Amino acid sequence: MKPDDLKFLIVDDFSTMRRIVRNLLKELGYNNADEAEDGQIALSKLRSGLFNFVVSDINMPNMNGFELLREIRADEQLKKLPVLLVTAEAKKEDIVLAAQIGANGYIVKPFTKATLEEKLTKIVQKMNGST
Amino acid sequence: MAHTGDTEDLEALFDQISSETLARLDATPAAEIAPAPPAAAAAGGEGEDSPEFYQRVGMLTRQLHDALRELGYHQKVEQAVHSLPDTRQRLDYIARLTGQAAERALSNVEKGQEIQEAVEREGARLSGQWQQLYERKLGVDDFKQVAADTSAFLHRTQEDARATHALLTDIMMAQDFHDLTGQVIQKVVKLAQDFEDELVKLLIESTPPEKRNAAHSEWMNGPVIDASSRDDVVTNQAQVDDLLESLGF
Repeated sequence: MKPDDLKFLIVDDFSTMRRIVRNLLKELGYNNADEAEDGQIALSKLRSGLFNFVVSDINMPNMNGFELLREIRADEQLKKLPVLLVTAEAKKEDIVLAAQIGANGYIVKPFTKATLEEKLTKIVQKMNGST
Repeated sequence: MAHTGDTEDLEALFDQISSETLARLDATPAAEIAPAPPAAAAAGGEGEDSPEFYQRVGMLTRQLHDALRELGYHQKVEQAVHSLPDTRQRLDYIARLTGQAAERALSNVEKGQEIQEAVEREGARLSGQWQQLYERKLGVDDFKQVAADTSAFLHRTQEDARATHALLTDIMMAQDFHDLTGQVIQKVVKLAQDFEDELVKLLIESTPPEKRNAAHSEWMNGPVIDASSRDDVVTNQAQVDDLLESLGF
């Protein structure tokens, strides 16, 4: 899968962080990205079928990242979407919970461009391997 | 995973559990994976600091003290006081993070300005040289030198552009403090609100009957009093202000 084939949905309640992630993705060659400010809005956008990669915060109002991930994994059409969680929570139980409910990757804020690139590459390689 | 204490162990743990979960998901129809109930609201503590608290505590009488014991509120106040050091740490964290972000941004701006000033200086110098060349004021050797300098300048400009881009990216990354401190501020505000709620409850319960009647008629003028007609609640900031004012604070 090439960078232009990936359509990202960036989910975060802070507009600053959405812009940072979006700009980093652009620098890494991923130009297709849209934004959602919480899990509910994200779910609605994802059901449009326009996205094939989710980068989501965890702590958000209305529907947090864990809830969004559960909804995605419980939805027949969305369940295989790769989800990368980006969060300020570095607690072990949160990381384990993220893995248990099916996150494809987990990044702790603050992070670097190199970390984001490494995680994305790893997930994309797995996506390519499974297609 | 980045910036965790035991990053590699956690990363290995994450990868192992995640792989197992995703493999299981592939083999399981989505309908069998029930979404969990909504998670609890963001973590918040019991109570928070407030200047009114200290003033009020100083003015409370023995009657209030006894009343608190009877009502069991002393425990909540104790919990609120214990939450103060945590709040101070959170505010220290915000101050530190915003300070670091500002330093990082300013430092990168200064480096970027130096690069741009050098480019401008060299560009102006070469432009002057070329102007002299057009005016036939330079010899062959000078022309060769100007051509070599211009070539080097063009090469260096690419490096400078890359360096400036890296500085700009770093300035952008420094803005992540907004997200990190924003989450902490939300928690501190929640603590402050909880603390205020507890103080207002204390105040209502401990108000002498004669004052309570006078105050009561004022608090009840607001539009959002509970339908059950309880006289031990206020429901918005205006009513809190009215109550404090009616009690002479």
